[in-house]
Amino acid sequence: MMAKATLKERQDKRFINKETQTAAKYLRRLEELSGAPDDIEPFYNALKRIYVDMKSVETENKTIGTYCVMTPPELIYAAGAVPVKLCSGNYTAFSIGDDIAPRDACPLVKAIAGFKQTGLMPVYEDCSMMVIPITCDCKKKIAGMLADKFNTVTLHIPAKRDDIDIEMFTDQLYDLMEKLEDVTGNAVTYESLSEGFRKVGYAQYELSEFIRLKKQMPYLIRGSHAMAILNAASYMPADVWGKALHKVNKSLEKNIAEKKTVTSKKLPRILLTGSPIVFPNIKIPLLIEEMGGIVAGDETCMGERGMWDPAVITDNSFDGMMRALANRSLRPCPCPTFADNSQRIYRLKQLIKENRIQGVIYHVLRGCLVYDFEYKRIEEELGKLDIPVIRLESDYNEEDIEQLRIRIEAFIELIKLKQAPERITTVRKSF
Amino acid sequence: MRSKKKIIITSVICLGMAALAYFAWLFPFYEFTSNDFGTGIEKLMSAEYLYTLTPLFIIIALATTGIILVIFIRKFLAKTDKNRSRAAQVRMGRLKGDSPKQKKSLFMIIRWAAMIIFTFMMIWGGLIFGLKMSSLSIPVLSCPWNTEQMTESSCYYLSHLNELFELPIQNIILFFGSTIAFTLLLGRAICGFLCPMGLIQDITDKIRQKTKIEGIKMNDKMYETLTPIKWCMALIFTGLCFAGGNFCNFCPAVAVSPILAGMSTSLYVSGFLMILVLMGGFFKRRAFCTICPLGTVMGFFHKISLFRVKKDCQSCTECGACYEACPMGIKMIYTEREKTDVTHANCIMCGECVKCCPEDNALSLTFAGKKIYTSSRKKIMSGYEEVRNYYDGKSNS
Repeated sequence: MMAKATLKERQDKRFINKETQTAAKYLRRLEELSGAPDDIEPFYNALKRIYVDMKSVETENKTIGTYCVMTPPELIYAAGAVPVKLCSGNYTAFSIGDDIAPRDACPLVKAIAGFKQTGLMPVYEDCSMMVIPITCDCKKKIAGMLADKFNTVTLHIPAKRDDIDIEMFTDQLYDLMEKLEDVTGNAVTYESLSEGFRKVGYAQYELSEFIRLKKQMPYLIRGSHAMAILNAASYMPADVWGKALHKVNKSLEKNIAEKKTVTSKKLPRILLTGSPIVFPNIKIPLLIEEMGGIVAGDETCMGERGMWDPAVITDNSFDGMMRALANRSLRPCPCPTFADNSQRIYRLKQLIKENRIQGVIYHVLRGCLVYDFEYKRIEEELGKLDIPVIRLESDYNEEDIEQLRIRIEAFIELIKLKQAPERITTVRKSF
Repeated sequence: MRSKKKIIITSVICLGMAALAYFAWLFPFYEFTSNDFGTGIEKLMSAEYLYTLTPLFIIIALATTGIILVIFIRKFLAKTDKNRSRAAQVRMGRLKGDSPKQKKSLFMIIRWAAMIIFTFMMIWGGLIFGLKMSSLSIPVLSCPWNTEQMTESSCYYLSHLNELFELPIQNIILFFGSTIAFTLLLGRAICGFLCPMGLIQDITDKIRQKTKIEGIKMNDKMYETLTPIKWCMALIFTGLCFAGGNFCNFCPAVAVSPILAGMSTSLYVSGFLMILVLMGGFFKRRAFCTICPLGTVMGFFHKISLFRVKKDCQSCTECGACYEACPMGIKMIYTEREKTDVTHANCIMCGECVKCCPEDNALSLTFAGKKIYTSSRKKIMSGYEEVRNYYDGKSNS
């Protein structure tokens, strides 16, 4: 009995060591990358707090764990709690989850399973409830797995986005609202829901300013830094995040006025799309930028895309607000879980045009079938625009890093061959 | 089986409507001993005016009672519904606080001002200012029984085509000329910018938005069921005169303009319909407009009118906010991914879709190729700007 307990303790210690080391390493790599905007520290600190210091989110309120972009954070704020996105990119947890989840399950889900198994991450353990939208088979099964340890709620995501589906989803949000009330003890009222809208709306306001600035001048900020900022949104209350982003926006504005860019070279501009990229699994954007490319746009659900769409209130009643949330959660969502997701192609085309993208990297997590399915269609469509695309499959470990490096390097060289070497000096005024 | 049932129900409703329109004079809502179409500013100032307004008061009273009754029934049902009683009680209860709103746009202010001014002129314009251009006909649902209105409304002769052809030839030419010219020039923008019936429904909707009462959730199926009723209305509107009926006894617009202008007008089915229009307009924005026969007729020309709704399909994220906001339930506006012109026959150019669109330049209203109202992220998020100032003030102090 004694020996077993010590074995568990040893395992736990090893887990904590490995986990904090990996996270610290990737944070260091982010910090070493040149050209970070001023005032980016709060976001690093938030990531550090969760993964290196192993603490929960900095808040006095209860935290509600969420997965996927379909969980409306407005509703959680309305119930007086703080949402935390628990989609994980952790390599150490993945290696544990590898033994629990089936071989072909995606690493993101394996990492969640690993965290559940070890029970060591405060950000998971402190959650009063977990909201799991069923966006794929892996999420469905992990919801069942999590249910024997946590208080979980599942949201059924329909395959279509017709009016009837929106109505059904609205009903689910009402159920979620009641469960949130039970957990937090706070009633959701019109006033508190409006307050939730304001909190998230403010964060989205700053995000749209951030993206507007990014579009205005190429090479203003590196994609990895932007990714870190957006990843940190999962672990910060929306108002705190918005406030921190406001400072970054101000410094970016200053950089525009001074025509200060991250680099004076004309780096190949790359769009990153596909499966979510979650800290600390940021090897791909880091590799791209270390190999001399720049991630000029991302269309991933933990990145720019996840928070982009605001809930538009078209009816002033309580139900109108709930409907706005349901509508926002489903209709503009580019998640491949929907049967018809052609809107994603239009979205990609728009991003390519706005950010003057030269190449697209399609990231697929091993086992992430829904994203893999859409690759073919996107490759065809982008081929028509003469934009090179490659599909990068990766897992949550560092074994494939050399292979990824070679492929990314070759891809960047390919783009460089296409473009004429020249220095960029002009600031784009309109877009 | 289901569709068969649907067809039967729809045809029964349509036939019932036609019968009601034909025998409209048998169902008096309020009858004056004699209809007096003489009016003047003195009459508007005298107590007699109140007497002529009686049917309008009755209509408003009944409509308000109806609305309150519906709200109470809904509250009662919500209380007894055991499945979702708690959420329902929050929804139906008295709601405090303010939801975030975007700043008012110039376009909306102009639209409201245009509607109010035009309605005022159509009702009292002739009386107060002596403005009259009665030889011109605008296709608008402002009752021409009000002989003192600023200009003629096309609806009378469109619903009495047999009488139209008895007129002298120059009148016929003038009628068709002006009607077609206005339709081409403005199209259904007349519905969104000028129509008094539209103004009334917009006001009832504003009241609902202010009181935060829940409306009717519309969906594509409900709009689909309304379509045959809309066509039936249009058929009654143009065809009733040939069968010997009088559409004016059926038309709800009669209950507004002539009475407000101080003409004692007896109301038949139109009075009852006006109650429904007010109630419908309260729970669903522009409910009557979805079946308005004059709008249907004007919709025929939507392909060539100068007001257009343009869409930049690349910018669209299919978020569906435009569809949620659209009072006419035009779904194609967010599903369309190829055409840049998304003007629909039902579109009344109210600009709600542009107002609610969160993507820059994705939707715009154009007049003769010139953009007059464009969607913008900044405008949508303008309500949250003050939140930033709030945090700014906090961090400074």
